[in-house]
Amino acid sequence: MKHSENLVQLFDRLNELKYLFHYGQKIIPIIQSLIDFMKDTVPMLENINTSISDSASKIPKAQNQIHDVTSATELATIEIMDIVDVISNDISKIEDDIKTMINKEEKKKELFTKLRILIGEKSNGIEIVDELEKESNAFNSLNQILSVIQKTKSDAYNITIALQVQDITTQQLAAVNHLITSVQQRLSNLVVELDESDIEVKEQKKIIIPDEETFNAEAKYDKDESRQKLADELLNKTSQDEIDKLFR
Amino acid sequence: MDLKFLVVDDSVTMRRIVSNSLKNLGYENFVEAGDGKEALTVLASDSTINFVITDWNMPVMTGLELIKAIRSDAALSKLPVLMVTTRGVKDDIIEALNAKVNNYIVKPFTPQVLKEKIEQCLVSA
Repeated sequence: MKHSENLVQLFDRLNELKYLFHYGQKIIPIIQSLIDFMKDTVPMLENINTSISDSASKIPKAQNQIHDVTSATELATIEIMDIVDVISNDISKIEDDIKTMINKEEKKKELFTKLRILIGEKSNGIEIVDELEKESNAFNSLNQILSVIQKTKSDAYNITIALQVQDITTQQLAAVNHLITSVQQRLSNLVVELDESDIEVKEQKKIIIPDEETFNAEAKYDKDESRQKLADELLNKTSQDEIDKLFR
Repeated sequence: MDLKFLVVDDSVTMRRIVSNSLKNLGYENFVEAGDGKEALTVLASDSTINFVITDWNMPVMTGLELIKAIRSDAALSKLPVLMVTTRGVKDDIIEALNAKVNNYIVKPFTPQVLKEKIEQCLVSA
């Protein structure tokens, strides 16, 4: 009796083994395709790794180029300001000279009046004095020149004011530089995970990473007055209670 | 009152624009600093400075930190401070107000706005 139970158990195990081999026959091609897939994937991953590593190594060059652009525009802006300053100083000298000439014209007018009194109204000489005053009067012309000079001076000053764009674009470029630095760091981490080796930075130039406190990523050059109006409105809420309420 | 300004900005261009604007408004007396820390050194060595115009975003010490340092120093706490910055969002302005800035200009500024804000600071000081 015991022998027959043992035989039943043996057949059960043999059947299980048969099913296992049968299942194994089905799964082996799948495992084989998985191995083939892995074999194909390895060079692909190596390719991705090389590509990421290559891209990441180019980032410092891009960062330095952005820094070079910032330095060049700052230098150019200062040169423009130097020239505008020279022009403004020259204009100021001309303005002073014209003002002096206008004062002399006024003095001349007074002298002509005195001369008329000396000559006397009935004398023929008065006509010559009138003619002389008319011909030598540069008062109107000088005033016209003065207004043109003053407008040119104001335009030159407005050029300087417009150069605020350099500071604003510098902040925008610093924000871009900061962004690509974080992209490089993420790429670097990815390569480390894929390859367990750090990115080889081909160009060993010093990378200037802008500190977040040194720029405003939202900086923009526009003549929209809404931001100034908002500042003015908030400034008018002078009490501390009102300021505290704004924080809530 | 004779005004002596301290213009604080890390941008050489902006320092020059603000200084030129001050000259244009008839204020000839000013000194400059490149960040908040340098500004505090200048303020410590020159007691004749009675007006500060500062940027916000600067290395070493920001304009906001500079204002806080000025307000917490008994000798400087009453100094009028005008902030000239690109930061124009509500939260930033409120933060500056809470640090006790006297007035606030959003870049790019016009000479007229600079004139108005200086005058307002002087009236309220």
